[in-house]
Amino acid sequence: MSPTPRLVGALALAAVIEYYGASSEVPWLFLLASWIAALCAVSLIFALWNRAGLRLHLSVRGASAAPGSPAGDLPTHLMRNAPLPEPIFEGDALSMEIGLDTTGAARGPARLVGFIGSQEISAATGLVPRSGWRQGVELRGLRRGPVDARAWVLESSDFAGLFRSRRANPDAEVALVLPRVTSLAARPQARELEASVAAPRAGSGTEMFGVREYRPGDSLRRIHWRSSARHGELVVREYEPPGIQTLGIFCDPGPANSEVADQVARLAASEAWDCIRNGGRVMLWGPGLTASEPGEARSLWAALEWLARYPTRAAGGQDADPPRVTEAVAVTGGAHPEVVEALEMVRRRGGMVRAWVVGDAGRAQGAIEKFMDLDGPVEHVGTEWPL
Amino acid sequence: MAALKLRLPASPVENSLEGRAFVFSGFCVAVLAIVLYGQDYVVPAAGVAATAIGHVVSYLGRARKRSMLGQALLASLVFAGLAYFLADSVLALFGGVLPQANFAIALVAVTSFDLKTRRNCYSSLWISLAILYLAAVYAWDYPFGILVGLWAVCLAGFWVASHLRRMGARLSAPPAALAAVVLGTLAVGLAGFVLIPQPTSLAPSPVVVSLPNFVSFKGELENPALPLVQLSGDPSGATSTIDLHYRGRLGDSPVMYVRTGAPAYWRGLVFDTYQGGVWTTSKRGFLEMQPYIPPRLLPPAPPNNLGTFVQVFRVLRPLPGVINAAYPIQSLYAPVTSLREDSYGTFFTPDLLQPGQTYSVVSYLPNLTANELKNEPAANAAQFIDPIYLDDGALSQQARSLALTAVGGHTATEFDEVMALTNYLQTNFRYSQQLGHVPAGRDPVDWFLFDVKIGYCEQFATAETLMLRSLGIPARLATGYSTGTYDPVLDQSVVREHDAHAWVEVWFPSHGWVPVDPSPGFSALAATQFPSHWAAGGIARLIPHLEIGAPLGAIGSLGLVAVIPVAVAIAVLVVFAWAWLRTRRRRGRGGTKAGPCESELLRLYERVQRKLGRRRAPPETPLEYLSGASPGPVLGVLEQVTDAVNEGAYAGRWPDPNVVRGLADRLS
Repeated sequence: MSPTPRLVGALALAAVIEYYGASSEVPWLFLLASWIAALCAVSLIFALWNRAGLRLHLSVRGASAAPGSPAGDLPTHLMRNAPLPEPIFEGDALSMEIGLDTTGAARGPARLVGFIGSQEISAATGLVPRSGWRQGVELRGLRRGPVDARAWVLESSDFAGLFRSRRANPDAEVALVLPRVTSLAARPQARELEASVAAPRAGSGTEMFGVREYRPGDSLRRIHWRSSARHGELVVREYEPPGIQTLGIFCDPGPANSEVADQVARLAASEAWDCIRNGGRVMLWGPGLTASEPGEARSLWAALEWLARYPTRAAGGQDADPPRVTEAVAVTGGAHPEVVEALEMVRRRGGMVRAWVVGDAGRAQGAIEKFMDLDGPVEHVGTEWPL
Repeated sequence: MAALKLRLPASPVENSLEGRAFVFSGFCVAVLAIVLYGQDYVVPAAGVAATAIGHVVSYLGRARKRSMLGQALLASLVFAGLAYFLADSVLALFGGVLPQANFAIALVAVTSFDLKTRRNCYSSLWISLAILYLAAVYAWDYPFGILVGLWAVCLAGFWVASHLRRMGARLSAPPAALAAVVLGTLAVGLAGFVLIPQPTSLAPSPVVVSLPNFVSFKGELENPALPLVQLSGDPSGATSTIDLHYRGRLGDSPVMYVRTGAPAYWRGLVFDTYQGGVWTTSKRGFLEMQPYIPPRLLPPAPPNNLGTFVQVFRVLRPLPGVINAAYPIQSLYAPVTSLREDSYGTFFTPDLLQPGQTYSVVSYLPNLTANELKNEPAANAAQFIDPIYLDDGALSQQARSLALTAVGGHTATEFDEVMALTNYLQTNFRYSQQLGHVPAGRDPVDWFLFDVKIGYCEQFATAETLMLRSLGIPARLATGYSTGTYDPVLDQSVVREHDAHAWVEVWFPSHGWVPVDPSPGFSALAATQFPSHWAAGGIARLIPHLEIGAPLGAIGSLGLVAVIPVAVAIAVLVVFAWAWLRTRRRRGRGGTKAGPCESELLRLYERVQRKLGRRRAPPETPLEYLSGASPGPVLGVLEQVTDAVNEGAYAGRWPDPNVVRGLADRLS
C-alpha cells in the first residue's frame, strides 16, 4: 500500500486550512481540515480492506474458428476428445474473460493490467459486485503456441485515489494455439508422390476386411461399385494392413524463423493427421527436442500439442535417439545432419523415407540435394498456407 | 521563435462530466453559504447562472484549442472583476457588500468558460473554498456545518471522479462501502474536531472581511443603542459622559456577533472624572489613523503576556462608532476611511457602525492571574500615574470609611486591597436592574452604598472606582459589553443589549490597567482567559452538569498531550472494527458447506505456496500446481496437502484437525 501524490496534496490542504483556522479563529476551518484528514485516514482503512478481498479472474470463454480453420473439418468423434473448452487453431479468435472476484461484500475500485499473448490489456471498474466483475476480451488472429497471461497486476485503491496498492499475479498459460492441419493426401502432388513411391499404408494389404469411404488418392481399382451404388457415394475396399504403420516425423530443431517453424509444424501436423486417421502411429522427434510420448502416438491432439510448443517448449529434454519407425518423413528448413542420419537409419532398416523442405528456394537447394541422395521423394514448399 | 502554446496538456478529469459537476456543486455550496450568511444576493445569483453556462460551454469546447482572442477576452473580464473589486472595496461604488466574495464569485464565473484542464478545475474549487471561508467568518450557527460538510463531499466527489477517470472506469462504487466511507469520514472528522486541541497561530492578523463605511469624521449623530451613554457629543455617536441619575432600557436584542479566540470583555469608552453623579473624560485629544493599524503604531506588548487572539465583530444594529474590543489591542482593521484613537486607547469610527459591518481586532492576552498580580513589586502606584485617576471627587467621608473597613486586614499588596474591596461589594450589595430614581440632591454613590444597597453595574463600578481612589489606588471606569452568550465550540459570542456593562480598571505599575468587576455574579478579576481551544472542552462547558465534563476538561487542559489518549482510543476502535470484520468474513466464508477445518487447511495450503515461492495461478488446478512444483523438502507436504484439498473441495471430506496440525508441524 503506497500513498499517492494526491494524499500529499490532501494533507497539505488540510494543513493550510488548519493554519487559516488557527490564524483567524474560525472553527469551521478546523472542522473542514478535520474532515479532510479523516478522509485520508478512512481511505487508508478502506484501501487495505479493498485490497484484501480482491482476486484476479482469468478464464477462456471460448474460441471462434477463422475461415479455413481445421476446427470445422475435423470429425465429430475427434472433436469430442478435443482439449476443453475447444481446440484453438492458429488464426482463430480467442474469447477471454478477465475480471475480479471479491470475498464477502462488493468492493472497488480496481484496475487490471497485463498481457495475454503479446496484447496488452487493461480494464478498470469502480464497482466489483459480490458476484464478481467480468469483462470480455477478444483476441483475434492468434499465432501458434502457448497463450500466456503474464505480468498481470491488480491495482486497487480507495475511492478518492489517496492510496494505491499494486499486486503482481503469477504468470499462467491460458490457452494453447494448435498449428493448422489439413489432409495432404488431397494434394495432387502428394498423390503422385504416393503413387510413385507406393509406400505401404493402412489398407493396402491383401486380405480384404471391409469397405470405407473413398478418399482422394485411392486407386480406382479398389472402388467397390456395389456398395457405392448402395450408399450413393464412392466406397472402396479396405484391406487388412500388413502391420501397423509407425510414422516418424523428424522436425528441424532450429528453424530459421518463426514463419518456417509455423510451416514445419503445419506440415508435421498434417502428416500426423493423415497417418493417424488411417490407423497409424506417429512419433515426433527432432535433434535436441523431447520426443513425443509413445503412449500418445495415436492421439492427434497430443501430436498437435507437441507441435504447438515446437520448437521452444519441446526443447530442453534428453537428447534421445530417433524412434524406431517403419516410415519417416523429415520436415525441415535445412539439411540438419542428425535428421539426415536418422532418415538414413530408417532407410537402412527397410523403411520408407520422405522429406519436406520449407523455406526459400535458394536456402533449401542444398537440403533438397542431400535428401535426394537418400532416394526418397522430396518436396519443397514455401511458408504460405494452405499449400 | 517557437509558437506560443496556449493549450495545456490534457488530463483525464477534464473529460469527466461528473468531475465538472462536483466542481460546480462545490461552487454552488459556497455561494449558498454567502447568500445565507452574508445576505448578499445579486452577484451570487448572477454568478451561479453564468458559471453554469460557462461549464457547459467549456465542456463542449474542451477539445478545442484556446484562441488568442478568447484568452484576451477572459483576461479582460478578470481585470474588469478586479476593477469592480477595487471600486467597491475602496469607493463602495456598488454598495460595498462583501466585495471580496463578489470578486471571487465573478472570477469563478469568468474562468468557468475556460475550464479545459484539471488545473483549471482545481482553481475553481479553491476559489469556491475561499468563498466558503468568507462565509464561515459570518457563520454564527451550527447549520453552517452542513454546508462545510457538503463542500467537503464535493471535493471528495471530484477526487473520486478524477481517480476513476484516470483508471479508465465509469463512475460507480459499492453502495454499502461508499456509505461506510462517507459516514466514517464524517464521524471521524467530527470526532477529531471535537477531541483534538485546536492550535492558535503565533502571529495572527486581523481578518479582512469587510462591509466598508466611507463616511468621514463630520456632523453630529445621536446615540441610538448604547443605553449606558445618554448624551450625544461626538460625531461617531459615542458620548463622553455617563449620568448615574438615568438608566436606559436594556432589551434582549442582539447587538453584535463576536467571533473570538477567547471570551473577553469588549471594552469601549473609558471615563476618568466623576462629578455630581456624572462621569466624564478629562482628555479630549485624539490621533487620526489609517483603518489598518499595525502593531508598530500601538503600545508594545504587555510583558509576560500569554499570546494574542483574533476577534471579528459583526454589527447587527446601528451602534455608536466605538471599536469595542478586548484590550490591550495588538492590531486592528476596520473598513472605514480612517480611525481616531483617543487618549485612553479607545478607537472611534467616523460614522455609526451599520448593521452588517464588520471589523477585526487582534488583542494581547496579558497574564493577569491572581498570583501574577500578587507578585507586583511593592511600590506606590500613584507616583506612576496621572493624578486624575486618584481624584475621588465628591466621595463622602462615610464612603471613605467604608472603604477602609472593607479592606481592613488585607493591605499587604495592592492586589489584596483591590480584591478585598471587590469581594466586599459583591458580598454585601445586591445586583438589580430594577432600580428607582436617585432622589434629588442625593449623591448616587451614597444612595447606593448606604440607602438602597441595590444597584447595577454602573453603581458598583463607580463606587469601587472612587473608593479605590480614596485608598490611593489609581482606578477608572470602563464601559462596553460583557462577553455575552459565548459558544466555546464555535468560539463565538452573541452580545445583546443587556450585556452592556461597566467595570473598573485598576492601575498596576507592572501590568497597566487591569479590569476588575465588582458586580455580583461576575468574576472579580475580569481578565480574559484562553479557552482550552478544544471543542470537547467547549462541549463540556456547555453541559456543566454532565459528569463527563470534568474528565474532558482535565484532558483538554493537557494541551497537545491530550492527543495521546485520543489516538489510543481511536486505535482501539480500529482494532475492534478490524477484528469484527475479520470474524464476519470468516463466518461468511464458512456457511453450511464448510468443513470443520477447511479454513485451517486452506491457510496451510497458502503457507506451502509461499514457502515454495510461487503462488498457484487462478486457472491452475491443485494437481497442475503440484506437477509444476520443484523437488525439495516441501514437496512431500505439498503432495499430502494437495490430496487433502482435492478431497475436501471435490468430495466434501475435509480432514481431521489433527491431520492438518500434523501437516503444519511437518511444514514447520
